[in-house]
Amino acid sequence: MAKKSSLHSQRTRTGIFFAAPALILVSAFLGIPIIQAGYFSFTEWNGVDAIWLGFSAYTQEFKNPIFWRVLENNGLLLLGVPIAILFPMGIAFLLNEKVAGWKIFRSIYFLPTAISWVVIGMVSMRFFAQEGLLNDIFKAFGLGFIKTDFLSSEKGALFAVAITFIWSMVGTNSIIFLTGMATLDQSLNEAARMDGASNFRIFRSITLPQLNRFIQFSFIITVISAFTALFSLIFVMTGGGPGFGTTTLEFFIFQSAFSRGNFGTGAMLGVILFFMMAVLGIGQLLLMRNKDE
Amino acid sequence: MRRRKLTPKTITVFISMCVLAIVMLYPFVFMINTSFKSKAQYFGAPGHSTASWGKLFKTLPVAQQLLNSTVVCAGAISIILLVSTMAGFAIAKMRSKATPILFLGIVGAMLIPLQSIIIPAYINASKLNLLNGYWGAIFVYAALGSPFATFLMTSYFRGIPEDLVEAAIVDGLSYPKVFLKIGLPLAVPAIITVIVLQFIQVWDDLLVGLLFIQEPTYRTITVGLGALSAGRVTDIPVLMAGSLISAIPAVVVYLIFQRQLVNGLTAGIGK
Repeated sequence: MAKKSSLHSQRTRTGIFFAAPALILVSAFLGIPIIQAGYFSFTEWNGVDAIWLGFSAYTQEFKNPIFWRVLENNGLLLLGVPIAILFPMGIAFLLNEKVAGWKIFRSIYFLPTAISWVVIGMVSMRFFAQEGLLNDIFKAFGLGFIKTDFLSSEKGALFAVAITFIWSMVGTNSIIFLTGMATLDQSLNEAARMDGASNFRIFRSITLPQLNRFIQFSFIITVISAFTALFSLIFVMTGGGPGFGTTTLEFFIFQSAFSRGNFGTGAMLGVILFFMMAVLGIGQLLLMRNKDE
Repeated sequence: MRRRKLTPKTITVFISMCVLAIVMLYPFVFMINTSFKSKAQYFGAPGHSTASWGKLFKTLPVAQQLLNSTVVCAGAISIILLVSTMAGFAIAKMRSKATPILFLGIVGAMLIPLQSIIIPAYINASKLNLLNGYWGAIFVYAALGSPFATFLMTSYFRGIPEDLVEAAIVDGLSYPKVFLKIGLPLAVPAIITVIVLQFIQVWDDLLVGLLFIQEPTYRTITVGLGALSAGRVTDIPVLMAGSLISAIPAVVVYLIFQRQLVNGLTAGIGK
């Protein structure tokens, strides 16, 4: 008994010792800074001196029309999320037909995942430009009158960012759905077909429910990307403009702190972003938990 | 081997997939094509040339920046592997009352977006003099990558039968020895997944490098390009040549380790 408990305490001690480096690293560079962000969000801070403002820091920001404009941009980007999920789902169905060369196609669709936003942004910028390919395509279809530099208008630029974002999610989301389709129980389909169910009916009542957790997963990944992964794309493609046309919350944080020196406001916007993502992230963790059980 | 039948359906599917492939490959075609043009050729003059490639090496210290990217990637990935294998093993196989706290403290940090901590982290790093070399960026990348890596390692080590560990302990092996001799060799697939995932992540990142590497001589290739494009350089063929060079290493890694990358991506859903 004494031996066993000493073994137990040895295990506890070694376990804590083993986990300590990761815990210290994560605390030093993520944990402590998020607490600091919480504190400094209530202050006016230039990076050196901080003046305590309390809740009025938040209420002031909530009166700032630019803040709401920025959130509106985030909201508009979210409109792209259903497309960024449904389109890849369709692609996954095509891939799942396993016609000749489907593995090569799969590799091609997933390839942009390896490319940086900087590179994607630079190419995308030219694609949407006045002399870019998109306008050439419009012209080819007799829509030459549309001819416009998308990045020069607020709505056009946001549209360009959204399309680029959707394009970049194609690989990730179709891989998620392809993984999901590999888990489908084919015998259910056949049983349903025997009972005379239509293709649509099989899709809606049998396939979709089985894909449920994959849809949830891709939804969360897509929304998190829309909120937190587009900094570099916006930085390269539009710089947040024209005006505040493509400034999203994550870009606004950077601008507030590093272009305008309002570190306190930047910290506060960071806290707001954190709470928005935490709600989603907890959902994701619960999802992971479910499959563990 | 099953012969695939040619039906109108498979032909339609095949054609749709070809069209989509063109859409997905367009950036590469554009980059390659444009990089082999001079500025005049880009604006309509006929033909191709290597002029822009020559110019690129004069505008951007390409070799130095590729080296910088390699150093930063190697540093960050080494730290991530070290701390995440140890922590994952501790959480999966050295369970105690402290385990849930450790798990939450490390893996829970996945919920923190980079942009939420970047301002205090930047100020802290500048006070600690971490912005003048590689270290600031290496530590931030390592901290950002460790939560998910630990999650992956934990689920991997959970797959090792408890009896195997118990038996080794009863035979007189210490926990560190069990980790080194039994744990690590079995975790090789997870380790490769983490390396591939993190290599692409760090290689392609702009924001952390932009802020945490202040000295231009230490800049990574992605940051170098980002700065060049934000500087409103109008020489597009030169930018495309740079983009292509910066993309090649990650694309090569992708082509070799595609399966591991997919495994890492779908690890969050489970099988």
